[in-house]
Amino acid sequence: MARADVLVIGGGVTGTLAAITLADAGASVTLIDAGVNAGSDANAGSLHVQMQSRFMRLYPDQVPNVEASLPFYRAAAEEWVRLDAVLGGVELVRNGGLMLAETPDQLAFLEHKADREAAQGLSVEVLDRTALDQIAPWLGPNIIGAELCRDEGKLNPLLANRLLRGRAEAAGVARITGKVDGLALTARGVEATTAEGPLQADQVIVAAAWGAGRLADGFGVSIPTRAEPLHMNITEPGAPSINHLVQHAERSITLKQFGSGQIVIGGGWPATYRGQTQPPLVRPASLLGNVALAAKLAPAISGLKVIRTWAGMNTTIDGASVIGALPGAERIVMAIPGDAGYTLGPMVGQMAASIALGAQTGFDSERFSPVRFAV
Amino acid sequence: MTEITFTFDGHKITAREGQSLAAALTEAGHRAFRETAKSADRGMFCGMGVCQECLVSVDGMPNLRACMSPVRNGMVVAKQAPFPEFSGAHVESSASKHLSPDVLVIGGGAGGLSAAITAARAGADVVVLDERKVAGGQYYKQSADGSILDAQQQEGAELLAAARASGAEILSGVELWGAFDPLLFLAQQGDTAIVARPKTAIVATGAYERPVMVPGWTLPGVMTTGAAQTLWRSYGTLPGKRIAVCGSGPLNLQVALELARGGADIVRLAERAPHPLKRPFASLKMGAAGASQTAKGVTMELALRRRGIDMRNACELVGVTQSGSELLATFRSAAGVEDTIGVDALCMNSGFEPQNEILRLLGAEMRYDPEMGTLRCHTDDTMHTNVSGLYAVGDCKGLGGAPAARQEGIIAGAHAATATGHGDAYDLFAARRALARHRRFQSCLWALYDIAPRNAATMPDDTLVCRCEELTIGDLRGGLEGRPGHAGTLKRSTRVGMGRCQGRYCGPVAARMVAEATGKPIEDLSFFAPRVPIKPVAISCILAAEEALDGEG
Repeated sequence: MARADVLVIGGGVTGTLAAITLADAGASVTLIDAGVNAGSDANAGSLHVQMQSRFMRLYPDQVPNVEASLPFYRAAAEEWVRLDAVLGGVELVRNGGLMLAETPDQLAFLEHKADREAAQGLSVEVLDRTALDQIAPWLGPNIIGAELCRDEGKLNPLLANRLLRGRAEAAGVARITGKVDGLALTARGVEATTAEGPLQADQVIVAAAWGAGRLADGFGVSIPTRAEPLHMNITEPGAPSINHLVQHAERSITLKQFGSGQIVIGGGWPATYRGQTQPPLVRPASLLGNVALAAKLAPAISGLKVIRTWAGMNTTIDGASVIGALPGAERIVMAIPGDAGYTLGPMVGQMAASIALGAQTGFDSERFSPVRFAV
Repeated sequence: MTEITFTFDGHKITAREGQSLAAALTEAGHRAFRETAKSADRGMFCGMGVCQECLVSVDGMPNLRACMSPVRNGMVVAKQAPFPEFSGAHVESSASKHLSPDVLVIGGGAGGLSAAITAARAGADVVVLDERKVAGGQYYKQSADGSILDAQQQEGAELLAAARASGAEILSGVELWGAFDPLLFLAQQGDTAIVARPKTAIVATGAYERPVMVPGWTLPGVMTTGAAQTLWRSYGTLPGKRIAVCGSGPLNLQVALELARGGADIVRLAERAPHPLKRPFASLKMGAAGASQTAKGVTMELALRRRGIDMRNACELVGVTQSGSELLATFRSAAGVEDTIGVDALCMNSGFEPQNEILRLLGAEMRYDPEMGTLRCHTDDTMHTNVSGLYAVGDCKGLGGAPAARQEGIIAGAHAATATGHGDAYDLFAARRALARHRRFQSCLWALYDIAPRNAATMPDDTLVCRCEELTIGDLRGGLEGRPGHAGTLKRSTRVGMGRCQGRYCGPVAARMVAEATGKPIEDLSFFAPRVPIKPVAISCILAAEEALDGEG
C-alpha cells in the first residue's frame, strides 16, 4: 500500500467525516476500518442535544463536562442539518425532543435542567400536559409534563452512513478493511501495525471509538475509552404519529418514529459483549424492560409488533469529546466524540481534520485536548 | 357444521367454523389482503405464519396474519393499509403461564410429537408448544374439523392421539418469540404470556418452503405448494379452479394430485429436474433404498398421467404477471421454448429452508450443506447439540423428511428423558436402523431433483428478492458495489432482510451473493445474525412477558 498523507483509523461517522475533510483539502487519505461491532453501523439516529438523564444518572461526575459541552452539541446538530443538505437528504427531521415527567419531582428536575440548558443557549421549554396533548396526543395518562428541546431531532443512520461512504469514495478516500493493532512513530511519520502488514502515513487520525484509548497508550496519555454494548428495538410501520425524539426524566428510553413509519425504541439498555467477531448479544431483561417501558409511556403503540432487535457499541470517556494531537506524538490526532457519538461525530471528525491540517477548529479545542489525560 | 359470516372490505363472506381467515377469503375469491408501502398488493404466500404477507385488519386491529387467524362470526375484516393507525390500548394485567418441564418440545410435527411421546412414556414431564390451532405439523397437516382425508392424515391423527395419551401436555396456538441462554423461552398463547425454563429442550421446528424467485412471484395468488396443501387438507378450500404447480421435488407431485382429486384443474405441473427415467441408475438406487416410498411416487405419477395432467420435466417458471383476475405464468422448457398459461393460482416449491432460528440464537453449531444450500445443525447421535440440554430433530436441522424426523424424535425424546432422570434410553436400535434407512432414501431421492440454490447471477434485475422491503436483485447488486464484507453489511446498506419476515426468503440469497462477491466460503456467520424476536411480537405481549418475569421475583 502506498504511503498516505493521513491514515484515518475507524470508518464510522467520525472517521469518515475526518477523511472527507482531509481529502477535500487535497490530502491523500487512507481509511482503515475493522468492519466489526461498529457504533455508527448500529446507531438508531437520534440527534441528542439536551442533557440525557440516563447519562446524568450513570455518570454524575461527568455532568459538568456535559453541561459545558452543550453549545458544542447544538452546533453538532446544526452540522447534521448542513450535511442533510449536502448529501441530498438523510431523512433529518428536527421537531425537537421531549423529555417526559411522570411525577412532580421529575418535572421539577426538568425545570431546573431546562434553566441550566437555556443558560447555555439551548431552545428549551417545559410543557404541561395540556400543551403536550397538542403535540403528542399518543402519550399515556401517567405523563404530567415534559421538557421540549427544539434543537433535537432524528435522522436515518443507514441512509446517512451509505451516503457518507459514497461521498468519501468520491472524494478519493481509499478505504481498506483491517484492524490496527498498534501505532509507532518513525523518522518520517507514523507506522500502523496490522495483520496484513504495516501502513505508513505522515499523520494519523484515531477515530476508533472505544478502541482509541488503547492505540494512544504509550504516547503520554491514558484515555479511558469505555465500550458500552447497548441494544435497540424496532417495530413494524404505523401511521406517522410521533414527531419528536422522546426520552424520560428518570428512566432509560429513547423512542422515535422513522420516515418508514417504524418506531425505534432504545435508550441505552445493556447488551452483552461477545468479542470482536460477533455483535453484542441482546439480553432478555433489557428487551423486556425497554419495550415494556415504551408501552407504559405510549400505550397507543402497544398493538404494533417488534420485528427486530439489535445491539451495538456506545463509547464513553469523561463526558466530553477528545479531539487533538497527543502530547507525546503531534502526528497522532484523536477524534473521539465520547457520549452521543453519532450526533457529535461529524463535528469531531472535521475538527480533528482541521487540527491535522494545522487550521482553526472554530471551537475552543483546549477543552477537548487529550492533554487532560496526560500521565 | 356451523356457518359463519363476516365482512371483508364490506363484502359479506360465508365461511365454515374452524376455517382460517385466509382460507375463507380465498374460497370467496379474494386474493389481495394487504397493500405495501409501494402500493403493491400482497396475499397469502407461505400459509404457515412465516412470510407475514397475509396481514389484514380485524375489528380495527391491523397486522393479523390471515393464515393463522380463525374466522369468527361477525368479524369486520379489512385490507391492511401500508401505514395503519395506532390501535393499542394499555392492558392493565395479562395472564401468564410458567413452565419448567423436564422436556420442552418446540414444534408439534412428526419429530416433536415423536419426541414428546417417547419422553413422556419414560416418565418425564413434557410440554409441547405448537403454533397452529391443531398440532401435527406441515407433513401430517391435520384438518380443522377432525375429518380424515387419507392415510397420511390418518397416520398424523394417530401420532397426535398417541401424544395426547402419553401424558405430554400439548399447548396449541403458541407463538414462541424469544430464546435465550440458558434455555429461557418466551412465547404467547392468545392473551397469555408463557415463560418456559425447561431442564432440556428439543427443537423440532421443521422447515419452510423455498420459493421460485422470478419476476411476479409476490403477486396475490402465487403461493407455496405447502400453502395450497394447507388450504385443502386443513380447511377443505381449493386455492383456485385453474392451478399450475412448479419448482422441484415430490411435494409438488403430491399436492397437484390432491388438488386434482379435490376438483381443481391442474393445468401444468412443471418440474425443473429431468424425468427420473432419464437417470435410470439414480432411480434404481432410490428404488433399492426405499421400495415402498418409490412405489408411492410411481403410483402418484401414474394417477396424474391418467388424469391427463400436463406434466413437464426440465421445465421452469420464468415469470408471472397479472391480467385482470388471472395470473399469466410463463414457463421455459429445456429447449428454451417459452409458453404462457392463465391460472387462478400458482403453487411453487423448490426445496426447503430449515427453521433454525432458535438453534442459531442459542449458539448451536451449524455447518453449510452446499447441495441443499442450507445450514445443517450438528448434533451427536443422541440428537444433542453442542449447547447443554438442547436437542434438535427433524427438518430444522437440515432437510431429512418426516419419517426420519420421527426416528430422530424417538432418539432425542429418550435421551432428554434420561438426562432428566427418566428411563435408560437403551433400546434405540430399531430407531437408529430406521433412521439410517430413511436418510439413505432421502439422499437418493433428492439426487433426482433440482433443489440446489439458483445462481443469483441468472436472475433478471427486476426480480423481487426481499418481499418485505420490496427490493429487487438489482438493488442488491447495487449494494454489492459498496463491497460489503458480510451479508449484515449488505443488509444495512440496502435494508435487505429488515422487514417483518426477518430475512427468511432474501437472507439465503443475500448470504450467497456476498460469499460469491468476497470469495469467502459460506458458513454460519455468512447468514444474517440471528435476532430476537424469532417472529414479530406485539409490544403488548412483551409487556405481558415482562410482568410475568417480574412476578417470578
